[in-house]
Amino acid sequence: MFNRMPKVFWGAMALIYGWFLLFFIIEITVKGFPLTKFLGMPACFLYNAIIGVWILNLIVAVLLNRSEEKREERTAALASTKGVE
Amino acid sequence: MQADPVVIIGALSYFVVIMAIGWYSRKAALNASDYYVAGRKVGPVVNGSALASTYFSPASFLGLPAFIFLLGYPFWWALVGIVAGMPVASLLTAAPLRKYAPTSFTDYYADRYETKWMRLVAGIPTIIGGFAYVTLSIVGTALFMLAILKFNFTVSVIISAIIVFLYIYWGGMVSTTFSTAFQGLMMTLASVVGALYILSHYGGFSGLAEATMSVSPNFFNLPYVNEKPSSALMGMWTGIVGFYFTWHYGFSAMPYTVVRFFTAQDIKSARRSVFWAVFFGGLTYIGLIIIGTGARVLIEQLHPLMQAQGVTDAVSLLKHMKNLYGVGAASVNDYSMIAAMEALKSPFLMAIICAGGLAIAMSTAAGWTMVLNVLLGRDLLGKVFGSKWPEEKPVQATRVMTTVVLVLCTLISFNPPALVLDISGAAFIVILCSVGPPLILGIWWEKANTTGAMVNIIVMTVLSTFSWMYANAALGSAHWFFLSQKGGIVTPHQFYWVFVGFIFFILICLVSKPNSPEVIKKYSLDLRPDA
Repeated sequence: MFNRMPKVFWGAMALIYGWFLLFFIIEITVKGFPLTKFLGMPACFLYNAIIGVWILNLIVAVLLNRSEEKREERTAALASTKGVE
Repeated sequence: MQADPVVIIGALSYFVVIMAIGWYSRKAALNASDYYVAGRKVGPVVNGSALASTYFSPASFLGLPAFIFLLGYPFWWALVGIVAGMPVASLLTAAPLRKYAPTSFTDYYADRYETKWMRLVAGIPTIIGGFAYVTLSIVGTALFMLAILKFNFTVSVIISAIIVFLYIYWGGMVSTTFSTAFQGLMMTLASVVGALYILSHYGGFSGLAEATMSVSPNFFNLPYVNEKPSSALMGMWTGIVGFYFTWHYGFSAMPYTVVRFFTAQDIKSARRSVFWAVFFGGLTYIGLIIIGTGARVLIEQLHPLMQAQGVTDAVSLLKHMKNLYGVGAASVNDYSMIAAMEALKSPFLMAIICAGGLAIAMSTAAGWTMVLNVLLGRDLLGKVFGSKWPEEKPVQATRVMTTVVLVLCTLISFNPPALVLDISGAAFIVILCSVGPPLILGIWWEKANTTGAMVNIIVMTVLSTFSWMYANAALGSAHWFFLSQKGGIVTPHQFYWVFVGFIFFILICLVSKPNSPEVIKKYSLDLRPDA
């Protein structure tokens, strides 16, 4: 199952779910954590709304795209080398 | 409250742009390939914006702020879960399905599981979800028409149905892809501008949080650490986790997004489309979080109808509006987002919000109607029952199907069965637990087979539909575990069926006969990277 799924995919999944679990567990164990001030604003706007919703997912999307495009380039280069031989 | 000419001009300008795009692209929609999959020539930015606009519906634009308004801060995690599901799709289904390059959602099921009857079986939950989504899109369009014209809700539904019908009738996937990409920009702009107005009004994030706490002291409360959670539905960890996962895998497996992977130029373009969908979608969602958070305080402090007799708070104001405009059933709570924007008393802001709202509602209606058109016409009538009509006259066939779908959904829209986000959640769970496992594991697991797919789709469709409807009717909310009681175990939308569906599918496949090696190679192994 999931044979040949690129390893970067599992890394991306770990990042996405790790982020959610980390802050979710902190929130249900540390009273008032979402409203703790960080960079002059309630922290939840940063770790949940801005990073959790947007920045983290943009990073993951770039990571997955780049690694796949590089892998495809390597495969194409290998195929053309074999063709020349 | 009177209709404002600036808001009407804003909405009309939006319609003019949409009509211009439809007119410009009409000649490109003359053959079947163009009509169904836009000739597979759409670039990543356009496709990504169209993906975000199609995926996000009035359930997002109206429903998510309404749920934040009702359930408080913990519901923000649901939005994180929805957007986090988007990049996951790029390798899980987007690239493999673009490599396979089918025309319709059910093509994969028929090919991978070696029987045309899979089109019919996979079509059942898709039809349930499709009708739910077209209905909620008409309801969403109607609520925005109400905001623009201040007409009665029933009249607004009729006007909305006519607008959606004409829009889809205009052209197939070519015109809807380009106009939907524009709609993606509009929804992002509307959400971000709305959020900036609110942040500017309250002097930033801290000001907004303090204002929100002043009218909802429990808004930021969480289970286990606070005496009283922000809402009874957020009183257990399962409430937060359940809402996170309800929509999470939708981008990978919901038919109306999956078909947009087919329109991309190539695999690279399909993957890059997902990045742009996250870009536009994520920005939109940040805006919606801010709007939902500020909704109650804005309505209670600034809305003109707070002066009306009997109106004491935001909820009673919405009830007052329900009576004033004859809004059907629970859908008046969906108006909380629009009411919050009305409270800021800016016709310019309302014009942008209404244009963005119409954009998101119409694009989803178009996306889902196209899925149902192709499913009912080409797939079921043509491929399963042997009619030549959908293949010989695809445009005529899909237009007839459009008429049937929209008439039925309009009738349901007059009295919606639930909040738009509840309708959306039901559609997601039914589809994801039934057709999700055979799609995802069909690509990634050689042992996925026809028996497993058939049994899983039928059993999970029945179980998820029954449990959702039973909880909604007997316990008063679809978010209580259906075998529990009201106030008992929180299981938003009976989300656990998604995970149960995957386990059930695997177990059935392990004890039944695998598909032929040729089919496994062609529709599973060859679709993966490195093949």
